Amino acid sequence: MSASLSLVVLDAVDAAPGVRSLSLADPSGATLPSYTPGSHVVVEIPAGEGRERPLANAYSLTGESLHPDRYSISVLHVPHSDGGHGGSAWMHTLGVGSQVQVLPPRSAFAPVRPASRHLLLGAGIGVTPLVSHLRSHARWGAPVEVLHLARPGQGAHLDDLVELGGDAVTLVHDRATWLTILRGRLRAQPMGTHLYTCGPAGFMDTVVAEATVAGWPAGRVHLEHFGIDALAPGEPFTVGVDGDVLDVPSGVSLLEALEEAGREIPSLCRQGVCGECRLKVGSATGLLHRDLYLTDDDKAAGDCVMACVSRAQPGADGRSHLEVLL
Amino acid sequence: MSAPAPPHYTSVPAWAREPVVEPVDHAGTSHSVLSVGPDGAAAAAHWLDALGCAGARVRHHDCADAAQAVDALETDLADALVGHRVLVAGSAQACLAVRAAAVRAGLSDAELRVAVTTVDERSVWCVHCHATNSAAAELEDVLACAGCGRTLLVYPHVSRRTGAHLGFMVDAEGPA
Ligand code: FES
Repeated sequence: MSASLSLVVLDAVDAAPGVRSLSLADPSGATLPSYTPGSHVVVEIPAGEGRERPLANAYSLTGESLHPDRYSISVLHVPHSDGGHGGSAWMHTLGVGSQVQVLPPRSAFAPVRPASRHLLLGAGIGVTPLVSHLRSHARWGAPVEVLHLARPGQGAHLDDLVELGGDAVTLVHDRATWLTILRGRLRAQPMGTHLYTCGPAGFMDTVVAEATVAGWPAGRVHLEHFGIDALAPGEPFTVGVDGDVLDVPSGVSLLEALEEAGREIPSLCRQGVCGECRLKVGSATGLLHRDLYLTDDDKAAGDCVMACVSRAQPGADGRSHLEVLL
Repeated sequence: MSAPAPPHYTSVPAWAREPVVEPVDHAGTSHSVLSVGPDGAAAAAHWLDALGCAGARVRHHDCADAAQAVDALETDLADALVGHRVLVAGSAQACLAVRAAAVRAGLSDAELRVAVTTVDERSVWCVHCHATNSAAAELEDVLACAGCGRTLLVYPHVSRRTGAHLGFMVDAEGPA
């Protein structure tokens, strides 16, 4: 995993109810690494104050992507009652001058280069990677259209959307209206358009279902999953390690199964974004990669897996098994 | 397929090595059906039946040659919307030429279906004189370039943007 950057908070504002926008900069003012629009950074969150172990959360970068003098992120506070682990709560305590460790930007949601037009479909805090896309399209004059769903009186970056996209932006505050507009817009896009969606899992499921009904092939539909969305529990499989075979039941991760068996595996985010728990794979009946860390090439090579989120898939004989090399 | 394609054949679609009829993609909301030549027209008839039964929106073009099909497709795609599908029936050479026009218009492979009637003829682009030869040739055959007379190897690489195979002098590395 790449070395983390030590940054300080340059600017912190409450951008919308429950959303805090932070700018992170190098303490010396040096330029930070450039990134592809739609990239995210992973912020390390120390243990303590009720957090049993360190955490790491992924946040989309919303600002300037070329030679940036700061990384801008917007953090939605996810309370414990909604499945939060305390990471976003800690992020909300940060003020100007606070120090943070940040892993360099990674791209898992880039605009498709040969696309002739881009349709951006966001909801709530899912606006963040789309702002970054829109900023790039505005700069290059790429045809773009934005349909965004936000609760009335809520939602960060709505002013950015309008400023960058002007008439190409439609903001909607109720789901029924959104669905009607979505159905129309999905049927009015010139050939060559790609669509990008980011929002809660149920929202993106609706986008994918509606796009499929409207005849969109999967290759034109791009999704950015939030780390905070609970992953499906998955099917059971077995893992071989040094000659032992362990069961990994549904609802238990490969990482947890190895830890229970007394194996020490480095981990940080436990949600597939930080890269810490990467394991070498000797052989596998099939791999279900669910992380945002490995590149498509890594995934295609099939020789590594992120233990915190990914699982074995059944092979031709119906057996699900993978051999890891520690 | 009779034999799996060698690894360096990745740009040659399986249907340019052996005839195949792909099924209609009923996920499409409208379709352009292009048939090239009498064999192509016969192959496209099944598609038209299947689409007709489903009540799909179809634009059908019965074309004499690949150039006519490319023209018709370019006109169709100029105002096509996402959800549109393209079906091409004819020789592999014609299907590759029409696919190239589709790729240039932003279509993805998932939005294209083919019915290939024969794979005997190929377009071969000469890297030396830039002539495009049309010839009965198998992959890795040699042929004389109509433009410059060099003996060309039909290399197993097809351009997505022209539909032609790459041809270069077979003994290019030997002494002149
Ligand atoms: S612990 Fe971060 S990717 Fe697995």
